Amino acid sequence: MSLLQPRRSFLSGFASLALGAMLHRDGFGAEGGTHPDGRPHFAPKVKSVIWLFMNGGMSHMESFDPKPMLTKYAGKTIAETPFADTQNPKRLAIERLVVPDGNGNQRNVLYPLQVGFQKHGESGIEISDWFPHLARQVDRLAIVRSMWTTDSNHGAQTQFHSGRHQNDGDFPNLGAWVHYGLGSLNDDLPQYISLGNREYWNKKDGHYLGPAHDAVPLRVDPANPLDFGRPERPFSPQAQAVGIDLLKQLSAVRTAESPRDAALAARVASYELAFRMQQSIPEAVDFSKETPETQALYGIDVPHCRPFATQMLAARRLVERGVRFIQVQHGAGGAGSWDAHGGLKSNHETNTRAVDQPVAALLEDLSRRGLLEETLVVFATEFGRTPGSQGSDGRDHHIFGFSVWMAGGGIKGGMVHGATDEIGFHAVENRHYVTDIHATILKQLGLDSRKLEIPGRKRLEIDHGVPIDAILA
Amino acid sequence: MNPNAKMNEIQSPRCSAVFRIAFLFGAFLFSTARAAEVDYLKHVKPILRERCFSCHGALKQKGGLRLDTAMSILEGGDTGPVVTPGDAAASLLLERVTATDIAERMPPEHEGEPLSPEQVGLLRAWIKAGATGPDQEQPEADPREHWAFRPVVRPAVPAVQRSEWIRNPIDAFVARQYEQRGLTPQPEATRLLLLRRLSLDLIGLPPTPAEVAAVQTAANEEWYEQTVTQLLEDPRHGERWARHWMDVWRYSDWWGLGDQLRNSQPHIWHWRDWIVESLNADTPYDEMLRLMLAADELHPNDLGKLRATGYLARNYFLFNRNQWMEETVEHVSKGFLGLTLNCAKCHDHKYDPFTHADFYRMRAFFEPYHARVDILPGEMNLARDGIPRVFDGLMDTPTYRFIRGQESNPDKSTPLAPGVPAVLAFKPLVIEPVELPADAWQPERRAWVLEAYRTAATQQLAVAQNKLVAAQEKLAAKTAQPGAAEEMASALAVARQELQVAELAKVVAQAELDSLEQRITAMRATWARAEAGDAKPGEALTDAEQQAARTAARSEAETAVAQARLVLANLELRLLKEPADKKDAVNKEITTAREALDKAMKKTAEPSEQFTKIFGAKWTATRFFNSSTDDPQVTFQSRSSGRRRALADWITDRRNPLTARVAVNQIWMRHMGAPLVPTVFDFGRKGTPPANPELLDWLAAELMDSGWSMKHLHRLIVQSATYRLSSSTAGAEQNLAVDQDNQFLWRRTPVRLESQSVRDSILALAGTLDPSRGGPPVPQASQETSTRRSLYFFHSNNERNLFLTMFDEALVKDCYRREQSIVPQQALALTNSKLVLDSSRPIADRLTGALPKEAATDEAAFVRLAFVNLLGAEPNAEELAASVQALETWKKLPEGQAADMGRGLPRANLVWVLLNHNDFVMVR
Repeated sequence: MSLLQPRRSFLSGFASLALGAMLHRDGFGAEGGTHPDGRPHFAPKVKSVIWLFMNGGMSHMESFDPKPMLTKYAGKTIAETPFADTQNPKRLAIERLVVPDGNGNQRNVLYPLQVGFQKHGESGIEISDWFPHLARQVDRLAIVRSMWTTDSNHGAQTQFHSGRHQNDGDFPNLGAWVHYGLGSLNDDLPQYISLGNREYWNKKDGHYLGPAHDAVPLRVDPANPLDFGRPERPFSPQAQAVGIDLLKQLSAVRTAESPRDAALAARVASYELAFRMQQSIPEAVDFSKETPETQALYGIDVPHCRPFATQMLAARRLVERGVRFIQVQHGAGGAGSWDAHGGLKSNHETNTRAVDQPVAALLEDLSRRGLLEETLVVFATEFGRTPGSQGSDGRDHHIFGFSVWMAGGGIKGGMVHGATDEIGFHAVENRHYVTDIHATILKQLGLDSRKLEIPGRKRLEIDHGVPIDAILA
Repeated sequence: MNPNAKMNEIQSPRCSAVFRIAFLFGAFLFSTARAAEVDYLKHVKPILRERCFSCHGALKQKGGLRLDTAMSILEGGDTGPVVTPGDAAASLLLERVTATDIAERMPPEHEGEPLSPEQVGLLRAWIKAGATGPDQEQPEADPREHWAFRPVVRPAVPAVQRSEWIRNPIDAFVARQYEQRGLTPQPEATRLLLLRRLSLDLIGLPPTPAEVAAVQTAANEEWYEQTVTQLLEDPRHGERWARHWMDVWRYSDWWGLGDQLRNSQPHIWHWRDWIVESLNADTPYDEMLRLMLAADELHPNDLGKLRATGYLARNYFLFNRNQWMEETVEHVSKGFLGLTLNCAKCHDHKYDPFTHADFYRMRAFFEPYHARVDILPGEMNLARDGIPRVFDGLMDTPTYRFIRGQESNPDKSTPLAPGVPAVLAFKPLVIEPVELPADAWQPERRAWVLEAYRTAATQQLAVAQNKLVAAQEKLAAKTAQPGAAEEMASALAVARQELQVAELAKVVAQAELDSLEQRITAMRATWARAEAGDAKPGEALTDAEQQAARTAARSEAETAVAQARLVLANLELRLLKEPADKKDAVNKEITTAREALDKAMKKTAEPSEQFTKIFGAKWTATRFFNSSTDDPQVTFQSRSSGRRRALADWITDRRNPLTARVAVNQIWMRHMGAPLVPTVFDFGRKGTPPANPELLDWLAAELMDSGWSMKHLHRLIVQSATYRLSSSTAGAEQNLAVDQDNQFLWRRTPVRLESQSVRDSILALAGTLDPSRGGPPVPQASQETSTRRSLYFFHSNNERNLFLTMFDEALVKDCYRREQSIVPQQALALTNSKLVLDSSRPIADRLTGALPKEAATDEAAFVRLAFVNLLGAEPNAEELAASVQALETWKKLPEGQAADMGRGLPRANLVWVLLNHNDFVMVR
């Protein structure tokens, strides 16, 4: 009894880390070292993270970092403008060239802004006219205009998630670290969920932390939200119920025989969670109880927003139910739908129309429900786009300066942090590598990434990043 | 543990206050510790070990300074003492770790961040308190004396008390540790479990009902020996163990972006088949390593053996040579040698005696190699089949050390020759170039290559001939058909033109065949002189050769004319079919085609000696220099550098201390559930030493002395009493108190079935597993309906089977040890997948068929049989009763009463439950 009792309570939160810790202790873990115990390292400010990722590279100049100089000097080469120093080879040296590319070359003829900008909100921050809904939320955003990364190909997508470029190997991404480091908020749902297609870059998250820390992929379809989420052959619920009941009885017999068998205990618990998930997940993505007003807020019935709107509403419902980390991929597949080498205007118009209303609604809805303070929302992309034109009407990949924003838990709203130069080329003020975003999020969750390190998997300084304290309230 | 800090309290608004208090309290504790007493071993030495030892310890003594004992710290270095006991401010050690001048600071800039203020505080407090350490503190051991770098010496088999328990020497080594630690082995597992273990372990599939029944009634213990022999001889043994080695050796089908090949090679499955065949033939482990590293130098013309070099061809990476080379060095080192040489890519190794240059010296062995695909007998189309393999093509490419590992920063002052770390240089490395036979580097000279081309051209001609007959018949039919005159005329015109097209197509096919023969003749003419040893490179052609070349060139020109005629005829056919308003456009094309024909005809009159050569292999093009165009061709050379042969020779030398140890550790782990050396790819100083080093060395010696026979090792391990132990912990309180983790093997460690075995076992039980072996991988689209063994599924970084990924499928980039996760998705896959739901019924039917006739309707008998076959154990009374009860309940449900209809069948439901039982996916 004394042996059994603590284990049962221990197992109640097994979905994420307790399980890993337990398995490790019993020789089931793959790696050595002390596993975290599921508690934060210091007082957390937020409970959940919604990680929105625009695949392909969103233009920073046509979204959150307006550069009128582009229009003023349109058609001129950069060398002919007062900004010739942006081409200083020393300043370009941060780029790590994997292989010279049809893309990723210098684009030197400035391309005018393809969209207008207005000041919005009390903060008066300028947002492009392609984001009319988000513009009304501007006082909730902290826009970081001074991001940089190192690789100008789309392997930079993994770089934004894990801190390491695709070619460096496979490294756990931020969601996996959070999943590894923190315990569960809800025993009926997975703690790390991924929405949206994942195609070009690796579909796994945990890597050396193990597959237990991969996100569970979910579809926003109550009839079929989860791989193997319901019987793939007709199987009557009554007959299933009898079987599940028998399985429980048989498992109980074995548990009584082998009270110390951690794998058995974990397997029994995993079945219990699986059965609960079969109920809880369809419910979480079933919007029938959402009011028409809420659904309209997200744009569920607006055809061009619908896919992302359903994901945003699902994200809110998952946060509400205590899911720790929700990763939403927009436009994945091939290089990513934001990859506007040509036809930037129509490309970004289409993409922004798809995401603008839903993401604005997410912020509004979280706020109305009092969830925004404990939820950190991140809106990011792998890199920006070149100030110069590619072809007649596109922009190329650009690693030297780009924008992301955060909102919600503990983030100062209505602020701009960092800046690029006047043509949006280099991040010049308060420069931040992509892992600074990770460090900021971990700080808000109460985690110290150095305390999570796995022996034999030494991380570099740059992998840990530095929290962007200036945007924290 | 602070009970206030439970996870669920994070949700309450007050919790952050609780946390803050806990946090402050911790800080308070910490500062008091600092002020009071600093424990050298607990507080100081760990900081020094982590941050300083790699340069000031046993590995290196920069500045003549060692910091690995308190005594050596007090002794100081070249510049004198670094610590003044009692006076922190006067201590150089503290001065250097707190220096603001980056050039002065320790650890130096590129060794990571400075010490934290807390760490500095601890050092200061320790110095203040007198800088004392324990008596007789041992310095770090000499890295050269590290256990894994010492030669393998066969240890004597210990004499132990428990002699009646011992089945072979493995047990003596294990029993000695029992005696040393006061452990008692668990009893032997039941026959049923032993049979299940052996079968899953050696062939990856559960025993059949007949095999189970035979063992249950076997009169004596000989069944065990017989079963082991039978399973080791079973060709499915190779399939089972191939998958293990495919994990370690990083098997992957090709992947890229869309159709673009970026990684690995097409047809790499030939390497997989070679692994399966080699294991079944018990090819010695050392021979397998030699072939994987250097078959092209050792057996340059043996396609069967060349398949082995798929191991290196798999590392192909379209865009970046450095990444390709680095992966090769990393995984040759980890997989064959248990060394993390990759940690020396940017700087000297922090734990092992490997220099920064050692990493690049290892790379130099591989620097010349590239990948190519060779034509196989009977198939000249490399898109359909071919042997991916490696060859030395870049003989003169120097290898440079990259400063700080940056490829943009090579140290060009010193090109590095191939070499091994000094600590492992047990004999001089002899690198001698290998002269290759002509048809190895001119593979077009292989007899089957020309035959393959001939076969293809002849088939083309036959196809053209058949089409011609069809066109003739169609025209005859049209001519005989009654109909309106105008329509008739038009249809006839089309049919006549179609006939013309078919005739010309046949002419083309014939011309291509003729041209092929002429080109073969011309190529043979030059080979003849080369074979006679008269040819010198760059020498002018002889008259006879020139004549043959001209004939070949003319035949190609004539083929081009025939092809141009065919294009024209096809356009004229289109002209007949197009509506009036489109005819202009076609006419334009016809004009162009006529011009092309004229040009082709003129060309036949121009004498030429240039003709398209037949090739017998194709270099797999790279794009290191520009992502949108292929790099200049890497040509096949008449000699190979011999570097990889020398490396293979060093790796497989009896004196190499690592190769056999690493191999037996991998094999042991896959039999016993846990390795002897837990860090399976790191046998260096940072790795974990074996709990039973004598056993590891004895096994390594045994492997080498048996001629590196893996089957010998398998047999030894599964015949040991240690292997046969029960996995139960029942009655083992004392053992648990001493060794909860079973480090000393007093019981068998239960193992979860690997992904492939989960799926294969279900199919095998259902009797639906396709027994065919080898061949191209099953593409993803056909996997759901395929019943082939899982190792034949297409498996790459981008494409993995969904069901298999649920159970920790091998990651192709790095999988030295399979994960054994337990996640709810596994439960979902086993309860809901088509695989399981479709298999339950056939499994139930098969079991019912195995019941004696008189017991066919006896539910209790069925339950027993199902337990025995699916779980390897008889049900106890409680389990039996619950199962029979469930069967009765299912029968009463509407679908149960519908007798044989679909999934409702009660016995299928019981099978479904047992497939979801923990003991089904566990090898206990």
